[in-house]
Amino acid sequence: MEGTTIIIETKKGDIALPLLEVQIVDINRVQANNYNPNAVADNNMALLEESILSNGFCFAVVTIYDKDIDKYIIVDGFHRYSIFKDYLEAKQLPIIVLNHDVTQRMAATVQFNRARGVHQVELMGDLVQALVQQGVEDADISQRLGMEEEEVYRLKQITGIAELFKNQIYSKSWGMVEVNEND
Amino acid sequence: MSSTLKQVYINKTVIDATRERISYVFDEFENIIVSVSGGKDSTVLAHIVLQEAHRRGRKVGIFFLDEEVVYDSTIKQVEYLMEMYPENTTKLWLQVEFNLTNATSLTENYLKCWEKGKHKIWMRSKKAFAIQQKPWDEAKETIRNKDVGLDFYAVLDNFENSRENTAFLVGLRATESPNRWRAVSKNPGYKNVFWCTGKKHGNCAFYPLYDWNFHDIWKYIYDSQLRYSKIYDYMYKKGMGIQEIRVSSLIHEKSFKALVELPEFEPDTYNKLLKRVKGVSVGNLYGKDSKMLKVSKLPKNFRTWIEYRDFLLATYPDDEKREIFAKRFSNHLENRYVARQQCRQLVLNDIENNLPIDNKPDPRELTLQKWRELL
Repeated sequence: MEGTTIIIETKKGDIALPLLEVQIVDINRVQANNYNPNAVADNNMALLEESILSNGFCFAVVTIYDKDIDKYIIVDGFHRYSIFKDYLEAKQLPIIVLNHDVTQRMAATVQFNRARGVHQVELMGDLVQALVQQGVEDADISQRLGMEEEEVYRLKQITGIAELFKNQIYSKSWGMVEVNEND
Repeated sequence: MSSTLKQVYINKTVIDATRERISYVFDEFENIIVSVSGGKDSTVLAHIVLQEAHRRGRKVGIFFLDEEVVYDSTIKQVEYLMEMYPENTTKLWLQVEFNLTNATSLTENYLKCWEKGKHKIWMRSKKAFAIQQKPWDEAKETIRNKDVGLDFYAVLDNFENSRENTAFLVGLRATESPNRWRAVSKNPGYKNVFWCTGKKHGNCAFYPLYDWNFHDIWKYIYDSQLRYSKIYDYMYKKGMGIQEIRVSSLIHEKSFKALVELPEFEPDTYNKLLKRVKGVSVGNLYGKDSKMLKVSKLPKNFRTWIEYRDFLLATYPDDEKREIFAKRFSNHLENRYVARQQCRQLVLNDIENNLPIDNKPDPRELTLQKWRELL
């Protein structure tokens, strides 16, 4: 990576550290790419805004510089950029600039989007339990974790599905009898 | 003279009635085998039957046909069922090679579960106590569909035919599978018992839970403090309607949607599956996508379902299988409604015709015609 002086050595070679080369630029000099297939649902946009408000802007937007139009084109971080620009009306944005050609850029976008984990349901349940034990209210959990209260409620239930049916009564049995159609 | 079967309520709860039904089967049959899937219904059935066996000091077979590519929770559940009353249980855990349709890959249409020579990538190793060789004469082996060979149902047929004078107990419920229930209960299968199907060699399949409703099953599980597959709790916590939860094979055309959630439920199972079966990541990424595996929306580069179907057929990677589809489709009507269903069969590799085509005129055409007449 151009200009990067610090690297970290690994068994598969030296790893560049573009994260150390963050620049703050005018947000109007940054624009979306035209191929990103990633879509973030509205509820998760609200969660992202919440995250930026409570944790700060922890990950710079990854871009390349397009000298023909003199703009930075986003490779990863379009939704962080949208929150800053449209939700929070910020004037500036922290970015890092990669030196990728278009093929590398497309690949990088998908790598950033897809190479991430999912939350195991069971452990997510444990996490919600722990927050409840710390005295956090449902509504608060719902806002901080970007969940509907219904989801919080379901995750809180440690007893499981069978418990929901304990107060039911058994149905009446039935049989089949042959009847003459003229009856 | 015509007569019909009519449903009549009895002044008993389903649980009392079922205990009587099971007691009747014990009186009539010396050999009893309960088929279990690891799901909620067969869990309840196995428990009630084992209690009766325990009371009578008898042994029953607990039969599980292991498809290899299943939730780990399913395996744990079946282990639990087989250990509930060990002195009354004969473990019939069948781990033999047969074909599963793989809905997620176009090049690997079938997965041979427990395929010889692939033990290094099997989802699990075989159980020491399992039945590892086909317990029937291979020369007499029957199949249901020659294109598919030995599949799930053919294995069940052959297993049943390897026994005689045996009562097979199955957790079928009328409210859950109304069509199947109607088919099996048309005629009494044994003496005057209508919740039963007669089979070869004096065998019979009985359905003692036929009148149970969904909530009865869960109430029984709660009241008896039975364990049940964790998948039900996972899916419930994920916000799924509890009525739609299934615990079946993970790559079947009716269950591949499970792959979308699998990494959140059982990451280890998912990782093993990635190595074991082609197309798993496609199922995971697109299992609920309307344009891909669900085939409910036409991809934007095609103007009609007929065009999309012709494209899928022309580009189908396997010539022999393409012929099967082409031949089948040649008997169908040519309209958008039918073509969409044909697309679905092609995308999901449904060589067995498990998702049958509703071969009728396009309902949209009829509506249009009605309007044309009115206007």
